[in-house]
Amino acid sequence: MTRQDVLNGIVKILQDVKTVDQEALKKVSEDSDFIADLGLPSTELINIIAKAEDEFGLEFEDDDVDALGSKVADTIDLVMRTQQPAK
Amino acid sequence: MNRQVAVVGMGGIFPACQSVEEFSGKIFTNQSLVRRWDEAVVLGKQVRSNVSGFITLEEAGLSAQWSTIAPGYPDTLLDLRERIPYENLATSDIGSVWAMLSSLDAVKTGGWNKQEVESERTGIAIGSGGGGHSILRPSWNSFFNDGKKSRALGPHGVGRAMTYRDAANVSCLLKTKGLSESLGSACATGLGNIGYAYRMIKYGIQDRMIAGGVEGTSIETFIGFDAMSILSRGFEPELSSRPFDKNRSGFVCSFGAAVVALEELELAKARGAEILAVINGFHANSDGDGNMFAPSYEGQKRLWKGLKADVPGLKPDVVKAHATSTPVGDAIELFSIVSELGEEGYHISAPKSQFGHMLGAAGSVEFIVALQMLKNQKVAPCLNSEELSDTREAMQDLDTWIGPNNPMAAYRHLIPAHSLEKEINQITCLNYGFGGTNAAMSISKYEGK
Repeated sequence: MTRQDVLNGIVKILQDVKTVDQEALKKVSEDSDFIADLGLPSTELINIIAKAEDEFGLEFEDDDVDALGSKVADTIDLVMRTQQPAK
Repeated sequence: MNRQVAVVGMGGIFPACQSVEEFSGKIFTNQSLVRRWDEAVVLGKQVRSNVSGFITLEEAGLSAQWSTIAPGYPDTLLDLRERIPYENLATSDIGSVWAMLSSLDAVKTGGWNKQEVESERTGIAIGSGGGGHSILRPSWNSFFNDGKKSRALGPHGVGRAMTYRDAANVSCLLKTKGLSESLGSACATGLGNIGYAYRMIKYGIQDRMIAGGVEGTSIETFIGFDAMSILSRGFEPELSSRPFDKNRSGFVCSFGAAVVALEELELAKARGAEILAVINGFHANSDGDGNMFAPSYEGQKRLWKGLKADVPGLKPDVVKAHATSTPVGDAIELFSIVSELGEEGYHISAPKSQFGHMLGAAGSVEFIVALQMLKNQKVAPCLNSEELSDTREAMQDLDTWIGPNNPMAAYRHLIPAHSLEKEINQITCLNYGFGGTNAAMSISKYEGK
């Protein structure tokens, strides 16, 4: 799975989240901030994480989720890191 | 300080009705809002009863976006008519959405402006009878049965199921700055919250209150009452709720919401508000007999005593009774009313005969029926009260009985089976709940200038 695949998956999740600015979502990039750029209430971040686990068939570590930033790239990093654990 | 309290606005969600006007029309044309409920029918022999005054999502102009992770759990409810913003829908269960819709209508009909709504002097008192069952059930299935992480449900489980979710969501929607609380008193919740709100204004703590009760459609709630074998059984849906009738066999478990806007009378007059009614007084008490479920004649007598003390010269033209259609409850209530008001000069209205028992919403929805009675000068009927018992109740033969000795049929003339027109200036509203809690309020038509 490439970073673009993950970004596409995140966009798919966000398209169903009614509090997300759907116009801003059309211009989303790895540099976008879920809260500042997409209008997501901070309480909803955990929703995105849970749906990403479901979408990508992964289980994130609680420590990683607790430390997660609000940039789209942060979540992509987490997905990439979790699907290819360090040896 | 002699502050009076006016009712200036109202809103609600009712079975098979799209507005207060439609609801009122059906009430006074003697229609039943009780239907067979498909959610109960599919449970087959798991349940005794399958009739209800229920409201579907679609009937309230709503839909749900269901979770792809936890079956049956709404990621969010959706408002197909765009009355409520997404961020408020996200934090709500179905009852809270109804509370918000009812409150929007109450504020609109009340005519309050933004400054009045968002004031420190405007508070909220709205409660529910049940917990957030329809939210908790899929949540717990997901966690305990399916082994999903807690975060699979997202962040809104607490906000959607907490006891005061209705007041909380209304306050967040309207941005009121006064108190925001929920009183819970089982089936007296709706009237109890209005009574609490009345006191907040009367005692000068707030100037305006948005108050009422809600019971969101929930098969889980229905199952709880079905388990007690106290629901009506053996009648077609529209005949199932039959307060005072000799063949009554239990209540109809129903759902709904109603919220009223209350305002200190002089403030309401000063801005030229339409005053729907004036609240004369309120009293609440407990049976004090240690019985969770059984109604108490003595408890109701003390309730009347308290109301009369709060309203000197109390003389209702109509008593809006609790009248659930249970065998013992209706008899005790009728006898306590007759012993307090005599055998002539008023009528007894039983709105549950038309839409069943809305539990935590009963007191507030029936309060709106009372407001409609004042407005239309018509008594809402006691539908299906076809024949009253002409033999004495078992309780009347006990040595300890201190109430009226006539059988219920002796008071047939007080209980209209169909709506009737008459001059109505004052109405007493009664509601009782499990735990022996009782509430009574008197309202009057506003005659001042």
